[in-house]
Amino acid sequence: MDYFRPLSIEEALGLAQQPGRLFLAGGTDLSLHMREGRINPLGLIDLGKIAELKEIRLEGEWLEIGSMTTFYDLGQSDLIRKQAKALWQACQTMGSPQIRHQATIGGNLGNCSPAADGLPPLLALGAEVELVSARGRERVLLADLLKRTPLLESGTLIKGFLIPLQGWDSGFAKLGRRQALAIARLSTAFALKRQDGVALEVRAAFGAVGRRAFLSEPLAQSLSGRVLNESWLEDAVKGSQNAVAEALGSRASAPYKRVAVGGVVRQALKTMLGGGNHDGD
Amino acid sequence: MEIKLEVNRKHYILDVTEDERLLDVLRNRLGLTGTKEGCGEGECGACTVIMDGKTVNSCLVLAGQADGRRITTIEGVGSRRSPHPVQKALVEVGAVQCGFCTPGMVLSAKALLDQNPKPTDDEIAVGMSGNLCRCTGYDKILRAVRKASEEVAE
Repeated sequence: MDYFRPLSIEEALGLAQQPGRLFLAGGTDLSLHMREGRINPLGLIDLGKIAELKEIRLEGEWLEIGSMTTFYDLGQSDLIRKQAKALWQACQTMGSPQIRHQATIGGNLGNCSPAADGLPPLLALGAEVELVSARGRERVLLADLLKRTPLLESGTLIKGFLIPLQGWDSGFAKLGRRQALAIARLSTAFALKRQDGVALEVRAAFGAVGRRAFLSEPLAQSLSGRVLNESWLEDAVKGSQNAVAEALGSRASAPYKRVAVGGVVRQALKTMLGGGNHDGD
Repeated sequence: MEIKLEVNRKHYILDVTEDERLLDVLRNRLGLTGTKEGCGEGECGACTVIMDGKTVNSCLVLAGQADGRRITTIEGVGSRRSPHPVQKALVEVGAVQCGFCTPGMVLSAKALLDQNPKPTDDEIAVGMSGNLCRCTGYDKILRAVRKASEEVAE
């Protein structure tokens, strides 16, 4: 196996044109998959030395996050806390301190585990993904990208994420078998554009429910344009239970998750609505 | 493949294989066997080392990813004559039984206190959450970290 440590995106893309090579982000999943023999790459292209991929910054109407930003760095960022609360929350609880120091948000998408903690928040926040390859650049809504199979063409690099600065509130919650180091059994992120006590627009995302994280459009529509009150909250809970039941069908986990999602959604909404204090200060 | 490492303030240039892990490099090439392999999949934290000031599971770091980085292992923390406050507190509180998790526990606690010398109990719990112990139980370990933090802060 070859091991490359490119210093620029261009160099990395050039290296990726040979078949059988994989991009290496944090490696917390990839290195395990290699040891288990699930993948046998001919070469690894370690992205760890490309500084450009580790930036978090405001660019016009967008919050830009480089794909090699670690969960720890996201969880420490005031920009993320203020502009992308649900993502910030997910970064506090993903894995363990050791994993958060190493695992990256781009790797979270590239690996695309059904339980990936970073994806429901990015979906709810309306994130777009910037992809680059030797063939060119592409900007695509994360929600659309997640419908593709395979997720990425070979040689395609996840450059970063762009979150629109719309002033939405957002919240995340997950259910694991214990507090730390637990793969999410269920996760949810909500985002909300509100004005004068009315939910103008809503996005609702779920993780660890089926093959990949997804946005529930019917749920979002049923909750949009309504007064934020107790019955809105109860409908959000019931609607989430329906969305999860539908997504899981007859899977063995369905009877558990379609009930459990109610509590997880309540927790996410509580942090999102929490007394109108938008940035958690 | 050649990598450069700084381990416990010593500089090394090593020829490693591409699929080798930092854990293997430390134990097999440098003989630093204080770093333990527990689960080998990033769950237990026994292989914790400090890399550029942050804890990582050395079983999940490929040797190439450690190139150019500064590593602290348990061999680089304290000495028999002058143990680190965390080590001292673990002994005094009686927070060590089989000791297999202890090197990782010490490094997580040291990294926490280096960054945050006066952590709250919640911050200690989060800081230590990536390290599993299967015999002592966590109460004494967390108490020892609290005790060490009081000593560090003085």
